[in-house]
Amino acid sequence: MLGIAGVAGVITTAIALLIRWLPSSASEEMDRITFTYWFATVICIAIFSLVIGVIVYCVIAFRVQPDDDTDGPPIHGNTRLEVIWTVVPAILVIAIGVVSAVVLSKNADAGANPLKIKVFAQQFAWRFVYPGDVRSDELVMPLHRHVKFDMTSADVIHSLWIPQMGQKQDVVPGIQTEIVITPTRTGTFSLICTELCGLGHATMRAPVRVLEPAAFQTWLTKQRASSGGGGATGGATTGGETSGGETTGGETTGGTTTGENAAQAQLGAKTFASAGCGSCHEFQKAGTDAQVGPSLDDLTAAAQKAGESVPDYVRESIEDPNAVVTEGYQPGVMPQNFKDSLSSEEIDALVAYVGGEEESK
Amino acid sequence: MTSTAHAPTHHETGHGDAPRRRGLLMRPGWVRAAWVTPAFFFIGMYLVVTFRWIMGWDPVYDWEIIVLIAGMVTAPIGFLLGLGTFDYWLYWISGRPTLVDDHANHGAYRWTDYFKVNTDHKVIGIQYLVTTFVFFIVGGFLAMLFRAELAEPGMQFFTTQTFNGLVSAHATLMIFVFIIPAFAGLANFAVPLMLGAPDMAFPRLNALSFWMLPVAGTLFLASFLAPGGAFATGWTSYAPLASEQPFGQVFFNMGVQWAGASSIATALNFLVTIITMRAPGMTFWRMPLLVWANFTTSLLVVIATPFIAGSQFFVMFDRVMHTSFFTPDNGGYVLGYQHIFWFYSHPAVYIMVLPGFGIISEIISVFSRKPIFGYRLMAISLIGILVLAFSVWAHHMFVAGMADWLRIPMMITTLLIAVPTGIKVFSWLATLWEGKLHLNTPMLFALGFISTFVIGGLSGIYLAAVPIDIHASDTYFIVAHIHYVLFGGSVFTIFAGLYYWFPKMTGRMYDERLGKLHFWLTFVAFNATFFPMHWVGLDGMPRRVADYAGTYGAINMVISIFSFILGASVVVFVYNMITSWARGPIAGSNPWRAMTIEWQVSSPPPVFNFDEIPQVVGSPYEYGVPGAKHVVLKGGALQETPA
Repeated sequence: MLGIAGVAGVITTAIALLIRWLPSSASEEMDRITFTYWFATVICIAIFSLVIGVIVYCVIAFRVQPDDDTDGPPIHGNTRLEVIWTVVPAILVIAIGVVSAVVLSKNADAGANPLKIKVFAQQFAWRFVYPGDVRSDELVMPLHRHVKFDMTSADVIHSLWIPQMGQKQDVVPGIQTEIVITPTRTGTFSLICTELCGLGHATMRAPVRVLEPAAFQTWLTKQRASSGGGGATGGATTGGETSGGETTGGETTGGTTTGENAAQAQLGAKTFASAGCGSCHEFQKAGTDAQVGPSLDDLTAAAQKAGESVPDYVRESIEDPNAVVTEGYQPGVMPQNFKDSLSSEEIDALVAYVGGEEESK
Repeated sequence: MTSTAHAPTHHETGHGDAPRRRGLLMRPGWVRAAWVTPAFFFIGMYLVVTFRWIMGWDPVYDWEIIVLIAGMVTAPIGFLLGLGTFDYWLYWISGRPTLVDDHANHGAYRWTDYFKVNTDHKVIGIQYLVTTFVFFIVGGFLAMLFRAELAEPGMQFFTTQTFNGLVSAHATLMIFVFIIPAFAGLANFAVPLMLGAPDMAFPRLNALSFWMLPVAGTLFLASFLAPGGAFATGWTSYAPLASEQPFGQVFFNMGVQWAGASSIATALNFLVTIITMRAPGMTFWRMPLLVWANFTTSLLVVIATPFIAGSQFFVMFDRVMHTSFFTPDNGGYVLGYQHIFWFYSHPAVYIMVLPGFGIISEIISVFSRKPIFGYRLMAISLIGILVLAFSVWAHHMFVAGMADWLRIPMMITTLLIAVPTGIKVFSWLATLWEGKLHLNTPMLFALGFISTFVIGGLSGIYLAAVPIDIHASDTYFIVAHIHYVLFGGSVFTIFAGLYYWFPKMTGRMYDERLGKLHFWLTFVAFNATFFPMHWVGLDGMPRRVADYAGTYGAINMVISIFSFILGASVVVFVYNMITSWARGPIAGSNPWRAMTIEWQVSSPPPVFNFDEIPQVVGSPYEYGVPGAKHVVLKGGALQETPA
């Protein structure tokens, strides 16, 4: 019996070790979660091997022919055994509980001087606000610093998770929730919504970058400048490489028509990304191919059907999505709060970006 | 339609005025249901229309409200009324002569009797099982559909809304109209016989409980016809998403009410039956563990189920009446929904597994030819689970944003539930030890259950530990865990129980070779489908997504292929059941040489179970004790056996 349990133990241990079960950690919190995971795994392998060992041994040793109609020995119980298998598991699970409680309190500790980032979630986009009202649709974190997220949602429940960083927290309308993450390696990651939030749930993601503290400061400064240039509500760069700030700030002062157009086009593209339009809509100019809502690639026919010009139709669809609903799609799916959550400059830019003349490709 | 003529009329005396024969349209049955149901729909519809007209609301014909009131409340009542579930009570209420002791609707003499309102617990048990397996097959088919979508990353067959609807309907059908009522069906058949009782305490309530079930299942499925598609918020239906979704959501809210009412009525019936209708000598410490399991399950049901009923009403009111129970405006509390929902839905996990524990205890003891090891501790551990089950609900909410201090206590109680569960597993193992093992299909499913359920239990330990749960929550790890507990747990025990009592229910033996084939196909395909999901989830794939990162493409293809094999294994099972019921070999009254009372009467049992009330003289598991007896049956079984 012990031999079979031993074999089961070896096989289970091999499965536990040879497959990389957890993603390689990128935060202090995930390091502790990984430790807790292995603590529990050792205990679970022991229990599993014992159970499987007994079952397999019994099947081999005690199986009888179908025509054998004798009975087994009438053993009704054994108090000592029963006490053992009540007390030992109790001790083991309490041990797991104690380890977990310690880890939990450490993982919730933001330290004395955390970087505070506000998180706003809505169907189906994330927005991050850094100190000084710097907005971004990309989550950028400095290495080795506690980052405390204060989160709230505009509509339904979402949940924030970066698999390599372990920590996860629901983002709930009406209340503020918190979470602490301390990145331990630089790189790019993906932030995933893990609470079913409607049609676009599967595509509600945001890019994450962890930078060296100096690089992070540079990024933050640039972002701050860019918000200043684009007005109080201006915002985010779509990627690390393109920095929107410089051009916007520089060329508006120039005041040429082309400069204004370029600035507006850039703001439109930024808003398209930060408001999460691409999570649901296909739009070649922005390189998105989602199928949740109608495609935005050729709106002439739809606008004609609604009896409006393309820009008016786009504006109406952003500000009051239920006014005209494309055939085959449901009303009430597209968020109805863009009129309030976006500034008038942003909406103008978005209308120009989506509903404007087809630019040279 | 003349079952009255064939039915036994033991006690006609006392009713000089024989019941006036009524025409086909007025007689209880499907014909009457066919016109009463639409009639009640119009009553409901014009209640709504009249009310809206008086109030001056526009539009007067608000079809969502009409479908809600007329389609989901009054029409189902009309259906139940037409079938005849209320006839006796209405006679009694209106002071007309009731047909006491007229057993016209008791027992099945021909196959059509299974399609009528029947008060025989054995008929109701089989009605439950056949109905729930229909929903099982439909629910499994829905799973095949979305596994086809998930086989490759990207969107192939469905829109995301349809995908979410398929996932939600799959879980809802499996939980509310398969697993929970399938156990009610098995227990309906077995428990009164095991107690030495002629029937359940309230046979007419029992019939009503069953007939509410097809109503619930039909509502869940009808949601696919609603504009906007089926309810798409998962079986958990979290607010406030649930109050903003298309109309299909309301079918879930109301379907749960019918399934819940059915469940509560059955549980009350079991409690009263077990407390008051035990045969002489059947003390609590002589009850088979299946009866113990259903006793504790029924307590869970009656205490917990009203909470889910409340949660679904309130979340629906938020939608149709613009209240703010669970919306952030006007002082509503979003997390309140989850607290109330899980205060039912965690105990529901035990509602879905304790009856299975009972089945496994019976089977392990009989097929090891040994007394169950540590009988009293087995019963006490059920009570332990019952008590702890009510103190662990918030472990579903570790990442939900609830009060932080709740996490540690809920973690400790959750971990402690492993103790009584462990007692049960170790006691089954000790029962196997030195036994004489007969590896028939029920025993294979029992042993398969122990191995898969242990995996589900151990992954539960990971999820109880808050830091690990924070990482694993809402990922495929959860999907793996719930299927190891509810498929590897509950469904394996349902299969075990069905094979075990099949000869008793039908009088015929199933095909053992097909049974074993079914087991091995299920066991292998089940593990190959769900075990990889642990890894997929821990590595970063969230649950309930129609599309996913390309890196998980290969593993999801493997999972989908095995899930289709798992689906195919059900075909073997259904074929075996149907052909064996029709022309399997005659089984005899006690093919397993079991000691519990149901095996001491003929197969299938007589309509009224026992000629005379049995006398219980000892424990139900005295295998290997020379001369030991559990029960003495005077006069033997009735000769009158149904066709």
